[in-house]
Amino acid sequence: MSKAENKGLLIFFYICIAVFSVICFAPFVLAVSGSLSTESRIAAEGYSFWPRGFSLETYQFLFGSKLEQIVRAYAVSLTVTVLGTVSAVLVTTAYAYVVSVKSFRFRNVFAFFAYFTMLFSGGTLPWYLLSTKYYHLDDKLIGLIAPYLLSVFLMFLMTNYFRSIPHEIVESAQIDGAGHLRIFIRIMLPLGRVGVVTISLFYALQYWNDFYLPLMLVTDERLYTIQYLMYTMMANIQFLASGNAAQVGGAIIAPPLETAKMAMTCLTVLPIAILYPFLQGFFVKGIVVGSVKG
Amino acid sequence: MFGKKGWLGLLMTAVLLLGACSQGGGATTTGTGGSDANSTDASGNEASGELAPAKLKIVLYGDESNRMKELAKTEFYDRIKQEINAEVEFQFLPWTEYAGGKTDLMLSTGEDFATYTDANYMVKSVAKGLYADLTPYTEASDDLSRTVDEASFKAFQLSGKQYAIPVGNKPNSAEFYSVLVRQDLLEEVGMSEVTSLAQLEEYYDKAHAAHPELIGYAGVDARRMLLYDYTDKNLYWQNDFVALDESAQDDRIINWFESEEFKKYAGLMRGWYEKGIIPKYAATNVPQLQSDWNSGKAMFWAGTAARPFEGAATISQAVPDAKLVNYFLGEGRPKISRGTYSTAFFVSSAAKDPERYVMFFNLLQKDQELYDLFAYGIEGTDYTLDENDRITRLTTDSLIPDWLLMNKNFIRFDNSVPDDFIAEYKAWDDGAVISKGAGFNFDNTPVKNEETKLNGVLTEYLAPIGSGFVDYETGYPKALERLKAAGIDKYIAEYQKQFSAWHAEQNQ
Repeated sequence: MSKAENKGLLIFFYICIAVFSVICFAPFVLAVSGSLSTESRIAAEGYSFWPRGFSLETYQFLFGSKLEQIVRAYAVSLTVTVLGTVSAVLVTTAYAYVVSVKSFRFRNVFAFFAYFTMLFSGGTLPWYLLSTKYYHLDDKLIGLIAPYLLSVFLMFLMTNYFRSIPHEIVESAQIDGAGHLRIFIRIMLPLGRVGVVTISLFYALQYWNDFYLPLMLVTDERLYTIQYLMYTMMANIQFLASGNAAQVGGAIIAPPLETAKMAMTCLTVLPIAILYPFLQGFFVKGIVVGSVKG
Repeated sequence: MFGKKGWLGLLMTAVLLLGACSQGGGATTTGTGGSDANSTDASGNEASGELAPAKLKIVLYGDESNRMKELAKTEFYDRIKQEINAEVEFQFLPWTEYAGGKTDLMLSTGEDFATYTDANYMVKSVAKGLYADLTPYTEASDDLSRTVDEASFKAFQLSGKQYAIPVGNKPNSAEFYSVLVRQDLLEEVGMSEVTSLAQLEEYYDKAHAAHPELIGYAGVDARRMLLYDYTDKNLYWQNDFVALDESAQDDRIINWFESEEFKKYAGLMRGWYEKGIIPKYAATNVPQLQSDWNSGKAMFWAGTAARPFEGAATISQAVPDAKLVNYFLGEGRPKISRGTYSTAFFVSSAAKDPERYVMFFNLLQKDQELYDLFAYGIEGTDYTLDENDRITRLTTDSLIPDWLLMNKNFIRFDNSVPDDFIAEYKAWDDGAVISKGAGFNFDNTPVKNEETKLNGVLTEYLAPIGSGFVDYETGYPKALERLKAAGIDKYIAEYQKQFSAWHAEQNQ
C-alpha cells in the first residue's frame, strides 16, 4: 500500500517540479528565440517561443559592431572570475582556519570583526571614498577583485566545516611537528575539499555576475566586464522607457534594438548555463556541510 | 577574560570608525582648498594672455558608440586642445546614474568633473554645496549665450547665482499640450484633422473599428492636451502638485489636486479608461505603453514640437509609412515655454578650473562648424551634405547626443523630413510666452518630509484617479484624507510663500 502511495506522491512531485522548471526555463527560451528573430517582426508582433522570421542578423550585427568590445569584456570577466575566485578562496579559508583554531587566543576577536560587518556597514559613500581616494582601486583590475575577497557568510560556513574535522587529526600532526601553515595546507584544505569547492562556486558566480564594481570603480572601457555591458544596455532602456527622459529635454532617444538586447542576454548567460550542470552536485553537497556532525 | 577581549574589540572598532570619519572630512577640506588655490592660478595665467593646460572630465549618460570613442581620442581631443588648451576626457555612465547614484557619489567625494542636470537636481545639490558657482565665469560662454536664450540661463540661477550653463535652443513651448496623431491612420479612416476632443474620440472609434488590436492613447497623463476641455485657465505645471494660471497676472499658485479642474479632468480620463482609449494594462505596466507606441500599436500620443520627425524615425521600424502630426484640441491660449534649453551643464564644486569647463560648454554651441563636428562628426567620413544642406549620416553611431546639443540655429535635417515640417518646427515657438514661473526653483528643505509623503500618496492614490483607473467619486475622499495627512497644506503654503517672494523680487 505504502509503495503505491509513494509512487503516486512521487509522480505528483515530478509533475510539480516539471511545471516549475518549465516556468523557470520559459524566459530563456524567449530570450533565445527573440535573439534569433528579425527586428521588424518583433516590433510588429511581439515575442514568441519560436523565432519570428528566423535570422542570425542580430548576432552578425553584434559581432560586427561590438565584437572587439564583447571579446574584451569576456576576457576581463574570465580573468576577474578566475583570479578573484582563487584569491578569495585563499583569503577566506585562511581566515576561517584562524577563527576555527581553538588554541588561538584572539580567534573570537577576529570572528567578531568579521561578524560586525555583517550587522553594520559604513554605507556606499565611505566605501566609495575609501576605494577611490585611499586604496586607489579605481580603473584597476584589482578593483574588480579586492572588494569581494572576504564574504563573511562563506567564511563562517568554512569555519564550521573546519570545526567538523576531528580535532585529533590536528593534534597528531602537531605532535609530529607540523606548524599551522603545514596543517592548513596539507590537512585542512584537502579534508575540507567539498567546502572549498562550494565557496569557490559561490565566489565564481559572484564575480561572474557582478556589475556593481565596474559601475562604481571603472571608467576605462578596457576594464568593462560582460555583465556591466549588459547592465548598461538594460539600464538605459529602462530609464528611457520610464519616462524620466522627459526631464532631460523631452527628447526621444532611440532605444537599442529589442533583438540586440536578447542576443546580449544569451551571450552573458551562455557560459554559466554550460558550466552549471557539471557543478551543481557540489552546490548541494556544500550547502549541507556542517548541518550533520560526525 | 572574555570581557577584556570584548572591550578590546570595541576599542579597535571605535578607532577604526573614528579613523574613517576623520579621513572623510580631511578629503573634503583638501578638495575645496585645492580648488581655490587652482582657480586663482588659472585667472593669473589668463591675465598673461595664455591658457595653462587643463584637464577636464565630462560625464555623459547612455551608450558610448564606437565612433564617439574614436573621435574623443582624435578630432574632438585635438580641436578642444587647440581651442581652449584643455584635454577633455568623456566618461559614459548608464542612465540610471543620472541625477543620483554614481553621479551623487562622484559629487560628494569631491571629484573634478562636469555633467548635465535638471532644475530639481540642481536645487538639491546646490543646497549641499556640490555645484560650483559659475557666475564669475559666465563671460566665458559669450558665443553660447548668443545662440541660447536668456530665459534658459535664468532657469539655472539660484538667488542670482548661475549654477549651470544651459545648452540647446529648440522650440519647446507647449510641451505635451498637443496631440501627436498617426496621420496615416487618421486618413485611412476618412478623416483629415483633429481639432477637438469630440473629433479625437471619433478618430478613436473609427480607427478602433478598423484595427481593434491598436490601443488609443499611449500614455496615462493627458492633463495638458485635454486642458481646453476642462478649464478656461491656461494652466502650466510647476510639478505634480502645483500649477500656475498663465492667463492671470498674479502670483497665486494652484493646488492642482484640490482644484475643480482636477475633478473635471479625472472625469474625462475615467471616460477614456472605460471606453478603452487608455488600455486596461496601463494601470500596472506603464513602460509597455511607450513600447506599443514605438512599434506603431497606438493611435495617438502627447506631442512636442520635435516629435513628428523624432518619433517617426522610431515608429518607421514597424510601420514604414507612418506619418505623425501635432494637433491642439482647442485654441486661443498662448503656448507656454520654460525656456528653450535642452539641458544644462554644471561643474562639480571640487573642480580645479571651473572657467575652463564653461569655455568647453561654450564650444558646444559656438558656431555651425563646431556644432557639426560635435553632433555629426567629420564631413565626408560621418556625414555628407547635399546642395540644400540636407544631411545624410554615413554612420548610425551617435556622438555627443544630438538631443542635448539640438539648437535650431545649427540643426541639420535629413532628406526624409519634408520642408513644411521644418518650417512648422522653426515657427513653433512664434507667439509663445515664457512661463511666469520660469527661473523659480523651489527650495524643498523646509518641507522635505511632507514632500516624500506626498509623493507616496501621489503614486498610491492620486495618479490612479488622474489616469482614470479609479473613479473620482469613490477614490477621492480617501485620497484627500491621505493628502491632508501627508501635509499638503503646509507644502502649498511654503510653495506659495517662496513663489510670492520670488515673484515680487522679479517685478521690482
